[in-house]
Amino acid sequence: MGTVLRWVLFVWMAVIIWAAFYYAPAASGFQGQSSRIVFFHVPTAWVATLAFLVSCIASIRYLRSRDPKEDIRASVAGALGLTFAILATVTGSIFARIMWGSYWNWDPRETSITFLLLIYAAYFALRAAIADPERRATMSAVYAILAFVTVPFLVFVVPRIYWSLHPDTIINTQGRIKMDSRMFQVLMGSLVGFTGVFSWLYSLECRVEGIRRRRQHEVL
Amino acid sequence: MWRFLAEAGAVFTKDLRTEFRTRVALNALGLFAITTLAAVSYTIGPYRIAENDRPFLLAALLWIVIFFAAMAGLDRTFVKEEDTHTAPLLRLSAEPLVVWAGKLLFNFVLLDVLMAILVPLYMVLMGFRVASTAGFLLVLVAGGYTLAVTTTMVAAIIARAMTRGALFSVLSLPLLLPLLIFLIQGTRAAVEGSAEGISDSLRAVVSLGGVMTVVSVVLFPVVWNE
Repeated sequence: MGTVLRWVLFVWMAVIIWAAFYYAPAASGFQGQSSRIVFFHVPTAWVATLAFLVSCIASIRYLRSRDPKEDIRASVAGALGLTFAILATVTGSIFARIMWGSYWNWDPRETSITFLLLIYAAYFALRAAIADPERRATMSAVYAILAFVTVPFLVFVVPRIYWSLHPDTIINTQGRIKMDSRMFQVLMGSLVGFTGVFSWLYSLECRVEGIRRRRQHEVL
Repeated sequence: MWRFLAEAGAVFTKDLRTEFRTRVALNALGLFAITTLAAVSYTIGPYRIAENDRPFLLAALLWIVIFFAAMAGLDRTFVKEEDTHTAPLLRLSAEPLVVWAGKLLFNFVLLDVLMAILVPLYMVLMGFRVASTAGFLLVLVAGGYTLAVTTTMVAAIIARAMTRGALFSVLSLPLLLPLLIFLIQGTRAAVEGSAEGISDSLRAVVSLGGVMTVVSVVLFPVVWNE
């Protein structure tokens, strides 16, 4: 990412953070200012999902091409996905404390994010347990794909079986967006901003990991 | 097609025969299940749970016992081949999908045998009654298949890694948690005799099993030939 783009991202995120607190109104029906967390919680959850998708696509591409770069992409996206999933869990948990009175109550959404965290923690446990780089890349790619196909069940089916306290997701069952226009603008801006932060971190990490592996190769 | 089935049957028979020589998986699964059941039955027993909570809690406990027993022995199918260094020979003599189908069938039969012993015992010891027996049997069979197809794939992956025993549960459980939820809901519906609940949960279990089967068919050759 070029210097100009990085500056644009910096200014964009600064404006979004300001707008989240001063431009957008607090939503009615929520305790005090608590609804403002949506501008940070939803984008982190979105980026976590996006990262897992990127990791899955990179894994499929690795199995097709056997290009080590794809393995680097898959593992970096997995690590970033895990980080953003933790952020989404923490922000969600803070909101749960304010609105529902406890940090954790096994709401279906909380359950599904826990599964996601476990799956990707398992992905890294598997990577750590295989010494041979090629075998590690193949096995973890297979596991990432296997894990990814269970995600729709976690995200869509489990919350349908259980009753949830979670506010309607942005695209709700009626397919309509019920949100104040200023809040909607800030949320969309925040989604774009967080996606930008993710792609910046992603390209940076991919380069760092590439250099690390080349160094390892030279040392060996 | 017939040839494929015959070859998969041969892999299954081979596994069954070697299993009966050592009985490692059978002992691990059976003893683990019985020990857990004894612990559950001793600490909770049939009458400590309030009447309203019984359908859900007894269903949850039953599936937790089955899942943990499965974690104790279902990885043997592939780990055994690596331990005894017979995997290369199997690779030479059979197509990857034949091996997969044979191993899947073995795990499925092993789970069914386990459930055939464990479930009646559980019913007796915990005072567990179901209103819809047919629905309950369908949930058990569909659940057994989906459990077998998922663990077969994970077992194939971990057979090529270090620290296999711990890794098998670590990798399997997160993938199996949605299945566990569907099965608990289905069993609870069978206890209460709710046909709608059973069919909802069966649909979820069967679709998860179907997805896992398709993904396994595509990915197993990659894992096996690595």
